Amino acid sequence: MELAYYPGCSLKQSSSLYDRQMRLVMERLGVTLKELDDWNCCGATSAGKTDDFLSIAMPARNLGIAAGSGQSELVIPCSACYSRTMVAKHYLEADREIKETINLGLSKKIVSDVKVLSILEVLLGLIESGELARQLVFKPKGLRPACYYGCMLTRFPFPVPVPDDVENPRGMERILEAMDLHPLEWNCKTSCCGASSAVTDPEVSYGLMAKIIRDALARGANCLVTTCPMCQMNLDAYQDEVCAKHGISERLPTYFITEIVGVAMGMGIKPLEIDRHFVDGTKLLEELERYESEQ
Amino acid sequence: MTVSAIEVAPDSVSSLLSEVMERSGQNLPACYQCRRCAGACSVGDETGFFTPDRLIRTILIGDRTAALNNELVWKCVSCYTCGIRCPNGIQTGRITETLKKMAKEAHIDSPYPKMVHFDDSFVQSGLRWGRVNETEFMASYEIKNSLSLLKQMDFRGVADEISRQIKLALSMLKLRRMHFGFLSAKGRNEIKRLHKQFKNKH
Repeated sequence: MELAYYPGCSLKQSSSLYDRQMRLVMERLGVTLKELDDWNCCGATSAGKTDDFLSIAMPARNLGIAAGSGQSELVIPCSACYSRTMVAKHYLEADREIKETINLGLSKKIVSDVKVLSILEVLLGLIESGELARQLVFKPKGLRPACYYGCMLTRFPFPVPVPDDVENPRGMERILEAMDLHPLEWNCKTSCCGASSAVTDPEVSYGLMAKIIRDALARGANCLVTTCPMCQMNLDAYQDEVCAKHGISERLPTYFITEIVGVAMGMGIKPLEIDRHFVDGTKLLEELERYESEQ
Repeated sequence: MTVSAIEVAPDSVSSLLSEVMERSGQNLPACYQCRRCAGACSVGDETGFFTPDRLIRTILIGDRTAALNNELVWKCVSCYTCGIRCPNGIQTGRITETLKKMAKEAHIDSPYPKMVHFDDSFVQSGLRWGRVNETEFMASYEIKNSLSLLKQMDFRGVADEISRQIKLALSMLKLRRMHFGFLSAKGRNEIKRLHKQFKNKH
């Protein structure tokens, strides 16, 4: 299977481990990722807050490149990029005039509809086809994960079709359950981590993160799993400060979903670059148990 | 300072309401003040009087001054929870995003300039190179911050901010999460040209 792939800026920089894991995991699962040629920044939430035209035009150029790529589906692992691209698609479909204006200025025009997929949709498809089950080697049995979706995977500023329950998404849980892991039910799976306010207004964002960490701990979780590089960075890089300010003594390694899938398929900590977390996530993954072969 | 009370201003109702409705795409008059949004707001602890429903009410009674400058407009993190809880499908997150832009156009300075600097620096970096270069964008953000803190003679603020960023940068370096290469998209001029055209027309 081939998919067009939009990594976005984070996955090329501070979260390059996520890009690496994405490539390794997908390759093992038989998916060839075709990175969009000369893609540009999606504008993220900042464009939505400062310039409505740019918030459409920036993802639109990527949609044009995707339309010309020959692929019918585009996977976007970063939640912010996924959300902004979905929103731009909604706008372009609803407003012919803006679509024509933008298309006139693009060298690669939006000539066909490319389906935008989150990483969860891709993994769920690979579970349905039985491919993931065939690749499972070691179960990271020490994990008691709480799946953290954050805002951008399910909540949009416009009614776009969301492939999961808005209030109680379960896509990530279904993936972990397919690996015989037992994600916990908890209250904060779609709570906000504060996003850029971790930089601009730490008091607010630390308060939000403390609520998330406290609830996960109260349910007995020993780690968080996420898909969003922004949430991962916030909950990882600032966790010590958040916990110090809010009197929390425990720590929760915050994994990308690709790290859990990769380890379960027998990939090592080093090639997956899991040793690049602020809150150490390597020890919890040392406890492995061989999956019983179904054959 | 943000505004802390709202006043009825019948004369400006229609111009304010229609501008917000058109730019945000939200049907404000459908609000019947059930306050589910208020209970859902992620930053509800921070915004004082201004809950999403009250922000909508502020616009409906025509108080432009309060609508453009209040804690909710500046503190909203665009988590969009209010909108999915609204029985009438009003996305107040879009309304705050719209009011942020209207405040900027009216030359109203945010009491929290850091957030404005962050979004401006991010979009400028993404537009300038076609891709956001994290180190360049954060440097531009910190320069904007420092300049506005220096204007207020807040030397302590500058020192605190810089030391916090250096601490983060050092731990990122150790984990190889700091990136020094340069990212760009060759076709970035397509977006710049479209942007210019659009701005000239509007």
